Amino acid sequence: MSSTFTLPPVPIEQYALENGLRVILSEDHSVPVVSVAVYYDVGSRNEKEGRTGFAHLFEHMMFQGSENVPKAGHFQYIFNNGGTMNGTTSTERTNYFETLPASQLPLALWLESDRMRSLKVTQENLDNQREAVKEEKRLNYDNRPYSNAFLRLDELIYKNHANAHSTIGSMEDLDDATIEDVREFFRIYYAPNNAVLAIVGDFDSNEARARVEKYFAGIPRQPVPPPADVTEPEEVAARQEIYRDRFAQLPALMLGWKAPARRTEDFYPLNLAGDLLLDGDSSRLYLKLVKGEESVVDIQGGTGERRGPSSLYVFAIPKPGHPTVEIRATIQDEIKRLAEEGPTAAEMEKLRNTLLNDSARGRQSTMYRAKRLAEYALYDGDPNLFNTELERYLRVTPEEIKRAVKKYLLTENHSIMEVVPAQSGTEEAPAPAAAQPSSEPAQPGAPPPQVPSPPPARLPSPTEPPAPISDATATHPEQPLQPTDAPTMKG
Amino acid sequence: MENQTDAFRREPPPPLAQRPLNLPTPFETTLANGLRVVVIEQERLPLVSYRLALRTGDAFDPPALPGLFEVLTGMLLEGTETRTSRQIAEAVARYGASLNAGASSDYSTVAASALSIYGGEVLELLADVALRPSFPEDELTLAKVNAQQSLIAQRAQPSFLAAETLSRAIFGQHPYAVVSATHESLEAMTREELSRFHRSLFVPHNAVLFIAGDVKRDEVLERAGVLFGDWRGGKAPEPHFTNPPTRDERVIYLVDRPGSEQSNIVIANLAITRKHPDYFPLLLMHTVLGANASSRLFMNLREEKGYTYGAYTSLDARRFAGSFRATAEVRTPVTGASLAEFFHEFDRIRDEDVSEKELNDAKAYLTGIFPIRLETQEGLIDQLVRLKMHDLPDDYLQTYRERIQQVGNFDAVRQAPRDARLRARRRRIDRQNQLEARQRAAPRHRSKS
Repeated sequence: MSSTFTLPPVPIEQYALENGLRVILSEDHSVPVVSVAVYYDVGSRNEKEGRTGFAHLFEHMMFQGSENVPKAGHFQYIFNNGGTMNGTTSTERTNYFETLPASQLPLALWLESDRMRSLKVTQENLDNQREAVKEEKRLNYDNRPYSNAFLRLDELIYKNHANAHSTIGSMEDLDDATIEDVREFFRIYYAPNNAVLAIVGDFDSNEARARVEKYFAGIPRQPVPPPADVTEPEEVAARQEIYRDRFAQLPALMLGWKAPARRTEDFYPLNLAGDLLLDGDSSRLYLKLVKGEESVVDIQGGTGERRGPSSLYVFAIPKPGHPTVEIRATIQDEIKRLAEEGPTAAEMEKLRNTLLNDSARGRQSTMYRAKRLAEYALYDGDPNLFNTELERYLRVTPEEIKRAVKKYLLTENHSIMEVVPAQSGTEEAPAPAAAQPSSEPAQPGAPPPQVPSPPPARLPSPTEPPAPISDATATHPEQPLQPTDAPTMKG
Repeated sequence: MENQTDAFRREPPPPLAQRPLNLPTPFETTLANGLRVVVIEQERLPLVSYRLALRTGDAFDPPALPGLFEVLTGMLLEGTETRTSRQIAEAVARYGASLNAGASSDYSTVAASALSIYGGEVLELLADVALRPSFPEDELTLAKVNAQQSLIAQRAQPSFLAAETLSRAIFGQHPYAVVSATHESLEAMTREELSRFHRSLFVPHNAVLFIAGDVKRDEVLERAGVLFGDWRGGKAPEPHFTNPPTRDERVIYLVDRPGSEQSNIVIANLAITRKHPDYFPLLLMHTVLGANASSRLFMNLREEKGYTYGAYTSLDARRFAGSFRATAEVRTPVTGASLAEFFHEFDRIRDEDVSEKELNDAKAYLTGIFPIRLETQEGLIDQLVRLKMHDLPDDYLQTYRERIQQVGNFDAVRQAPRDARLRARRRRIDRQNQLEARQRAAPRHRSKS
């Protein structure tokens, strides 16, 4: 192991326009492409009661035309000029992004600025996208096993509506959304001073600054939006529920813990503890449950990273003859062991090398960098964290990991969801078991698991082309879609 | 919102000058045992990626043992002559690396990536699992039991049920008809069978080793020679596949999934192989019709009608056969209306000219996204794997964009759906006459992920 191993820092220029738009530029001339990401500081955490799913529905409206761009013109302009694009909504933020041939940077700035300054909304387009979003909800949640149970788990983990409810929302709330809601939301949240623009790739910074000024400087600043209240009460008891899932063929066990907010001192060791327990074939829970006890078919999990309280979750599919109570006990034992013994030297080396490897690979794709830079700028006011946060992770000690596991995971105050296959045709509903049911809807932040193996975090977005036939999962983030027939990977 | 529009906002801005794409030139050599090695030196970041690709995949499963190859590739990571599954997993993790194995219908890969400082160690691990798997009895038993459970879980997914029935209908007795193992085939797989298959197909003449990244060519070739030079084996057997059935009328298959919130619609027909001369015209037709959110199907079924979250086509061109598919998941009450729109779009692209603008837009899309796929080392190496496994010419990456531009014949584009045998006949769907509801009994499963 080379202790002097260093990664070349990503060059970062950061400044703000008069109207408050924060701009991040990062030149990279390796490949003649450019990625543009616009992040707005609004997500489902900002939604009012009775308007769940609205931030995401609004995101769809951002593709429905502005003063100089017709409905769906955004799709047309990007694809027909050789680009890829999308947008997603999470609890924390709404993002819009495109990668284009380097020569088309002006097009991206024109498109993003036009919708930031002059979104056009019509009742017809709202009705149309409401239907598209409802189909998205059916496709990704209502017509799938485990997905809605997963949203329900967030309602158990969180007590504050802002945190607990789902980003996809409820059908009723989607139905209730009005064109006035859209206009108001645009005025409050889609202001330059509530957004970050990141540009990464093959361009000249001086030219780009001039273009950004040209397209964005004239968009007026708006009053600062009201802050989201994401405070959570202290956890005082375990919550437990049984969820009857009419599509699940196999039972499942889900566990959830409330975790500290991202970038807090305790978050770093806890996040790494989650990796030790759950990340891959060398993780403690995989080796114990899938291999050792042979009691589960599969186990997955991880951290749902948020600015408010984060969460940590586990999803396991038990084998016949292995009651969930037994599996839960084993998981508790492993958590206890990590809290008491801490990670081994080999595990610390694994964490270190995995962090270095992931950081190096994350420097490849311009889109991945644009998103991360925008995120750090929006949440932390410091895009340079792209270069420096690694150092904080590398400083985490075994002792910190022990303490974090003890404090946050080795506690009775967590949420337990047992998914039971229901007879098809019967109503899908949470059935209260030990604890009281919540009257509220759901939330992701962490991905809804899929069987037999989950996709990367699936955030509601305006379009999502199908995976190529018999294609593999991308093992790294932000890989563009590959055409046809790549091997299905196990490992 | 502002009222005053600056003149420059009214039209999209013209592009800047094009910037050159520098494609790396792969170096290729063949070891004495017949193993081809392809090296791409790329110093950009301290990373290396490896692929050992074999020209054998799921399609080569014995008819009585569907899923064999999938189990075989999965088992490569579950033990070698000198390492247990746990030792493999922990060694890979300790380097912060990744190591996977998997199969598609035409080929298989053992894939690894690592920081280049650990490149040598990780290549050794790759060689060990690929060449010297031991298929331990207890690990095989576990893999089979878990695969059987996954088969059950898989059947909860409507997309799986649709793909299963559709592949059977399109490919008939051709092995592409099979999308997963069965309980029975898993039951029947033995350690001996896996070993025998491994010995006959995992041979150097059947393989190409790809190395991309921060490496020195001479050093890495020497390392490959040490790790793979003693690998021996004969010629892999040539496959003989039954032709897929031809079709001269539309057949409807209904798969009942009680309680479904949506209908998963898949409309498909046999199409072309990857090397068919019509590949590029068909690729353009696919782009115009349904490749992305600016294509005709999406604009119609979603942006106009609001029937679906997305309607797309896929061009599934494999080595021995292929299919062309159009898909959408729609709320149940608009199933019929959605079908009518699909057939309307098929008719339109078959009977009417594709405008020059649409054709040029499709070309701009395909040529523009091409470099985006090569941004990452994994993207680049997987393009090279695909190229070699499909026997495409060595200058394929260099000439890809030209080949797209050269499709000038509008007729070829318009005829493509006919070549693809996507016969959208102009008649109402008469469910009574044409209904042929079939539900496949045997459970099948297509691997993790």
